[in-house]
Amino acid sequence: MHVSRPSLRKRVASSSAGRTVSFFTKIFLSGIAAVAIVALIIELLTGGLSPNCKSNPLDPLCIPGYAVRTLTRMTIAYAFALGFALTYGIATAMSHRASHVLLPLLDIFQSVPVLGVVPVVFLIILGTGSNPPVFNQEVASIILIFTAMAWAPTFGVIAGINAIPTDIKEAAHAYGMHGARYLRQIVLPAVFPELVWSSILAWGGGWYLIPVEEHLSFGQPPNQTQVDLPGIGRFIALAALKADLGLALFGLIVLVGIILAIDRLIWKPLGVRAEKYKYETVAAPRTTATRQSSVVAGVRRYEDRLVSPVLTFFKSERSYAARVLEITRLKRIRHITERLRFPERIGRIPLWGRILSYAIFVGLVILGLIVTIMSRSQSIESGISLLATDVTAFELIAITLLSLSRLVIAYVIALSWTLGAGILIARSQRLSRLLVPIFDIGQSIPATALFPLVVILLVDPFKNSPYLGFTLNLASVLLILTGMQWYLLFNIVGAVNGVPNDILEATAAYRVRGRRFVKEILIPASFPAILIGSIQAWGGGWNALIVSESIGANVSVPGLGSFLVQASSREPALGAVEIYASLLVMTATVLIINRLVWRRLLRKADRYKFEA
Amino acid sequence: MTKTSEPILKIKDIAKIYPGEGKSTTVLDHISFDVYKEFLCIVGPSGCGKSTLLRIIDGLDKPTSGQVLFHGQPITSPSPKVGVIFQTFALIPWKTVLGNVLMAISSSSIQKEEQLKIAQKYIQDVGLEGFESSYPKELSGGMKQRVGIARALALQPEVLLMDEPFSSLDALTAENLRREVVDIWRDPAYPTGSVLMVTHNVQEAVEMADRVIVLSARPAKIVDDVKIDLERPRSPRDPVLYDLADRIISKIS
Repeated sequence: MHVSRPSLRKRVASSSAGRTVSFFTKIFLSGIAAVAIVALIIELLTGGLSPNCKSNPLDPLCIPGYAVRTLTRMTIAYAFALGFALTYGIATAMSHRASHVLLPLLDIFQSVPVLGVVPVVFLIILGTGSNPPVFNQEVASIILIFTAMAWAPTFGVIAGINAIPTDIKEAAHAYGMHGARYLRQIVLPAVFPELVWSSILAWGGGWYLIPVEEHLSFGQPPNQTQVDLPGIGRFIALAALKADLGLALFGLIVLVGIILAIDRLIWKPLGVRAEKYKYETVAAPRTTATRQSSVVAGVRRYEDRLVSPVLTFFKSERSYAARVLEITRLKRIRHITERLRFPERIGRIPLWGRILSYAIFVGLVILGLIVTIMSRSQSIESGISLLATDVTAFELIAITLLSLSRLVIAYVIALSWTLGAGILIARSQRLSRLLVPIFDIGQSIPATALFPLVVILLVDPFKNSPYLGFTLNLASVLLILTGMQWYLLFNIVGAVNGVPNDILEATAAYRVRGRRFVKEILIPASFPAILIGSIQAWGGGWNALIVSESIGANVSVPGLGSFLVQASSREPALGAVEIYASLLVMTATVLIINRLVWRRLLRKADRYKFEA
Repeated sequence: MTKTSEPILKIKDIAKIYPGEGKSTTVLDHISFDVYKEFLCIVGPSGCGKSTLLRIIDGLDKPTSGQVLFHGQPITSPSPKVGVIFQTFALIPWKTVLGNVLMAISSSSIQKEEQLKIAQKYIQDVGLEGFESSYPKELSGGMKQRVGIARALALQPEVLLMDEPFSSLDALTAENLRREVVDIWRDPAYPTGSVLMVTHNVQEAVEMADRVIVLSARPAKIVDDVKIDLERPRSPRDPVLYDLADRIISKIS
């Protein structure tokens, strides 16, 4: 025993886990470095933003420079978000006591619609001056992107640490791994796959903000604060303001191109690689192996016919889509399992923890309110008294209900089409090969970037028509839909694809087919995924709501979103109070709906999970 | 259980080839045999394609060439006269025990009340009375497989296909279930004539079967067809069984 022990120790110390991290980190860092270098090269080649771009910001030649600016903001914010996620996540997962407060607090934070925070951050950082310094604008912008990026990786880190099997923990403990070594060799490798996966979500959240936050104005003309940051988002916003459909589309295509390029060059290769570092259960491989082989074989059959480069591109997209589907399927299942466990864990948190977390949140909001008003050199009392006289609680409830009804309509539409499409995609290989790449590109378009297009197509032509109210509501629901549908679709596709082979064989052997198969097998099997997708979709919906209700100056429909947007151009003190009031109402509504609807249903969803 | 002259199932020259990059993989290499009213086991090394063969026989998978005839009719899709028992039980997690058993017969033309009676009878027969409204998650492995057996029996099948039915169970549970399955098959009250079981456990095969077909490693070919003429009920610890098993194992390796 004594003889063998040192060698065992040595083996653990030099285990693949340690190397995994450094290898992984290398790829990861080189990915970021590659983006930075490419950005730098473009910046140098184009000689930075020429003065021409200042006078004529819609010059397409300025696009590379804009792209670099936007990407740099995203990358800096992402670095902060990663740091935050690791710190917060590790603290939550490693300290039982801290998790009592940190976990519910995280839950509240992620329920705040990010777009609602936009005016708050700008108001605090920019103050009242009509021409705030560019540096402050940049800082505000990065903070905003950070708030959109931070939550998903944090949940990822917590999920990754929770997924470390007990036997690995015990083995590490038995071989004397503690502190930094445990963190480096066990925790970090376990966290990386989740981190990659959630980083994709985080960047998606970041892109969502770009079309909104680079060109904004607050307050009424004499006291107007203008945010004007060179970037792709501003390009799209300015094109929309000029009602130039061509330029807006051009900007949108460039934006989607950048998003897809980053996705293909960094995230997806990382994601494929990260799969290898996951703890596997013994039972899993068999079904995936047969499935994968059929997918690969299907793709190969097409290989011979594809000769021209264009077709080759589509082919790689297609096989790539099949692979992504394969991987996301596994990930979604894990993601779903983790999310299903979440309400349970929140439920186990002692009351003091929950109360404390709410207290911290309310404290932060009040602090924010004070800072906002002070920065605009107003007294809080004046703001609150203005709110009391100007807005009634009844009005707030009424507009909340109006907004809710828009969300419900968009949700019902989204759920019906995605359930149908999800089942079709999952059942037909041919349809899936055709549609998945299209949907994959569709989902990568930030819904906010579509707003200008909707304005140009649905709002501008009806400016003076009596149908304006209707088209505005239609536009609003449509925009909310774009913010909701993809979450549902991809979760459902993942779930339907994830029905284990033995269950499929048993249903085939006992001739459960057609309508019965859909009703008794596919829909119940997607139930947990529908719930998870719904929670994400409602998050996306609330976000979209904020922009969708107030489409342009004087062109808005009554609702919580338009209330919030209009508040930012009101008299400063009142505006600030109104912004916080609507943010609080929104967060509270999200939390209440989560508690009353989704959490309850999630508890029931446990039955609809396949055993691993 | 004597052989009748007409085979119930005729497996004719079945081959299964998976196309692959450059070279294709042959899994089943022209396999032919007949199944009479008997307990037939197919043994072979793991990964040799036994389960694929079973799936082809049930019409769940298509052979590259060859045919399976059931009373002279080719099988192309699962038949209501064939019951299947899976290694992983394959129970629907959101259906109760009763629901899982009902699933097998609910596409038949039998009246709903009659279906319920049939399902309840077989649940009783496998010893799960009182567990009708339990969910699979609440059952032990052995009980789950009992649900799988009840589901197959509820079809009142003429042929019962079993894919490694006992290899996910612990040794003691497996031994009990083996005996029960043989008893059920021998009970004249059950219509099931032929049982076709795939296993890699040779000991299990010689204990249960009338006849053992031995497959080689991939590509699978029939290397032997052994008749087991032993009195039933058999004791799993009968030394004759060990001898038989040894002879078969030497053929495989």
